Amino acid sequence: MNRREALSRVSLMLGGTLSAPTLLAFDRWSQTTPENRKTGASILNEEQREVIARVAELIIPKTDTPGAIDAGVPAFIEVMLRDGYTKSVQDVFLTGLGNLAGKGLLTASPDQQTTLLKQLEANALANAKAGTVSFWQLIKELTVWGYFTSEAGIKSSLDYQPIPGKFEAIKIKPGQKDFMYGNQV
Amino acid sequence: MNLNINAQKAQTFDAIVVGSGITGGWAAKELTEKGLNVLVLERGYEIKHVEDYKTAMQDPWEFEHRGKITAVSAEEHYASMFFSAKEGSQFNFTNDKEHPYIQKRPFNWIRGYHTGGKSLIWGKHTYRWNREDFMANAKEGLGVDWPIRYEDLVPWYTYVEKFVGISGQAEGLDVLPDSTFLPPMAMTAPERHFKKSVAQKLNRPIVMGRVAHLTKPQPWHTAVGRASCQFRNRCTRGCPFGAYFSSLAATLPAARSTNRLTIIHNAIVKEIILDDHAQKAKGVRVIDQNTMEVREFYAKVLFLNAGTIGSTSILMNSKSARFPNGLGNDSDQLGRNLMDHHLAVGARADIEGFEDDHYFGARPGSLYIPRFRNWGNDKRDYLRGFGYQGGASRADWARGGTEPGFGADFKKKMTQPGPWKMSLTGFGEVLPDPNNRFYLSPDKTDKWGQPQVVFDADFSANDRAMRKDIMNDGAEMLEAAGFKNVTTYDNPAAHMGLGIHEMGTARMGKDPKTSVLNKYNQVHTCKNVFVTDGSGMTSASNVNPSLTYMALTARAASYAVAQLKAKNL
Ligand SMILES: Cc1cc2nc3c(=O)[nH]c(=O)nc-3n(C[C@H](O)[C@H](O)[C@H](O)COP(=O)(O)OP(=O)(O)OC[C@H]3O[C@@H](n4cnc5c(N)ncnc54)[C@H](O)[C@@H]3O)c2cc1C
Ligand code: SF4
Repeated sequence: MNRREALSRVSLMLGGTLSAPTLLAFDRWSQTTPENRKTGASILNEEQREVIARVAELIIPKTDTPGAIDAGVPAFIEVMLRDGYTKSVQDVFLTGLGNLAGKGLLTASPDQQTTLLKQLEANALANAKAGTVSFWQLIKELTVWGYFTSEAGIKSSLDYQPIPGKFEAIKIKPGQKDFMYGNQV
Repeated sequence: MNLNINAQKAQTFDAIVVGSGITGGWAAKELTEKGLNVLVLERGYEIKHVEDYKTAMQDPWEFEHRGKITAVSAEEHYASMFFSAKEGSQFNFTNDKEHPYIQKRPFNWIRGYHTGGKSLIWGKHTYRWNREDFMANAKEGLGVDWPIRYEDLVPWYTYVEKFVGISGQAEGLDVLPDSTFLPPMAMTAPERHFKKSVAQKLNRPIVMGRVAHLTKPQPWHTAVGRASCQFRNRCTRGCPFGAYFSSLAATLPAARSTNRLTIIHNAIVKEIILDDHAQKAKGVRVIDQNTMEVREFYAKVLFLNAGTIGSTSILMNSKSARFPNGLGNDSDQLGRNLMDHHLAVGARADIEGFEDDHYFGARPGSLYIPRFRNWGNDKRDYLRGFGYQGGASRADWARGGTEPGFGADFKKKMTQPGPWKMSLTGFGEVLPDPNNRFYLSPDKTDKWGQPQVVFDADFSANDRAMRKDIMNDGAEMLEAAGFKNVTTYDNPAAHMGLGIHEMGTARMGKDPKTSVLNKYNQVHTCKNVFVTDGSGMTSASNVNPSLTYMALTARAASYAVAQLKAKNL
């Protein structure tokens, strides 16, 4: 049994608890990007960056609280794409960005943008297969994760309790914000 | 000439303890408190309690990858990904790439090579073994009989429990004997409902998990600098409050306060040096993990506490004319009977009807369901039993990663507590089997020239049969509570090692022909060497083992000092 097999077995173990993008991040052997990619040039161009920002903001828009862009989500997605995923997953992501740009996402009206994403989500759900990952799934998970772990996102949207000091069962009021504990990352 | 004598003296101690983890910490504390000058040799780097818990106080947004594991660290720490898939704690798990091992059959060897060993990353579930656990082998004719019984350990359990500090509740159950407790942690509303329903409908007790966290520190806890648990559940990053039991927070400070403790880090114990004439150990030979320098240290008594695989490897590597197959290995049992607990099997459910119930605080710990199979009048077509850890919690914002939808409503929804869910995971007992083993590779070495460990072990038909009951009984209990969408799982990729309770490879027994250690964890044929970690376990029980290792260590240390004083060692 070699390391690659060992790791894929562990990934299988994790199947129930982690989402597909996270699992795929574990399989590094198929990757061909250089080990020193942290110091290398970015894999994204300006248009791709704009698509990421637009989609992230559509997933978590600015309302009476900050949105994905205010919370720095696009930069987080770029870092994760660089450090967290194999070349093949990066390619899925880049293709997804290209398709959306091709469909005119950046010049579409807000309603048209929402329609485009709805189609994207429906397709992703219809074609979801174990062991594969879609562009939509990747950007959705990264956006949610990036937002609800950002300082702006946590402080505006959740009740952050870094040191609760006690544990007790309580009653909550309708609409009350959920607690966030530091252990959730 | 004089210089040499002085150097030799500087390297000579009353006792040497190999490893600073859960059991090494206990050996150090007991031996120093009983007046011995003790050297602890730790192969890993030094971690200073509190000072070196670099991520413990970090907020989520301070992590570059917000807690997610990168592709590079996933490869380097592949064995522990199951437990450590977090950015803030991965470095507390050993790097498998630097410390390789071979899997003839799949085995995950999850380690912590640093001060405190796995005491920094353990789950802290702490249970006594029961009377039957020490008699099952004899009754069933499996393995060998334990040379001790539950009663031999009772005073030692009580002794270590007090110092450790275990939160929990006395229940008066034979299957799960009570410890000395600090106040238990609270159950959530659905958990209380679950406990009540299962008691009424199935007559099975469910208890609050007994965990080594200070819920009400006692003077002897605060004396070593420990404080009450703050319910942050960031424990694997290290606890700046010293609220959970670790060598770093508890036993090593106690040992240090005697002024008789020396710890040397980066010291990989390679082998035991044997005194050929006296049939005793003289000391150990050590490689510095950074400089590769080889040194020797001497003592009257040696305690091996390098973790089951680590300690047994040292014995295997200590070859001499008297012990050509490894120190104390006349029985050929060294490395055999490798046991673990099997997990990654259980049941889950959704819970409806507790929408206004929530909890404040992050509880480090869960419920515990004690063994009920093959217990009392229950008889199965497999041997031994299993218990469950698990609990109910509300889904948080992270559910948004997989839940459909986006936009303002979606965002709002993720700021609200999600649905309640419950999950139960079984921990099953694995039987001793001489063909489940590990050995040292004859040709593959690590970067220190030490032979790599080869694992060759797997679950048995008995284990597989037990897994069916773990799934079905879990589902039955969740249904008894009226929970929805009950599903079961048995991960086909589950294998040994992932139970994180490896033990048994230098078993205790009455007969030197069939066992390596005697009833005081002393090598039968080399009396001044004690092995008091999981190596000595003769069978595996189904509850977490570390409390029993601690009790055995304290007992062996007390015996060793008495024997030293009587000049028998
Ligand atoms: C994620 C996780 C969760 C766990 N949860 C629980 C739980 O809830 N309850 C429970 O009872 N148990 C639990 N365990 C198991 C528990 O951690 C072990 O049983 C316990 O740590 C064993 O103690 P030890 O002293 O034998 O080994 P360790 O604590 O691992 O210490 C061994 C030490 O020896 C050092 N060492 C190794 N080889 C050498 C050498 N050649 N020379 C010098 N030093 C050496 C190591 O660096 C290490 O510091 C868990 C384990 C893991 C990994
Ligand atoms: S939950 Fe308790 S033991 Fe764990 S890190 Fe927080 S204070 Fe320490």
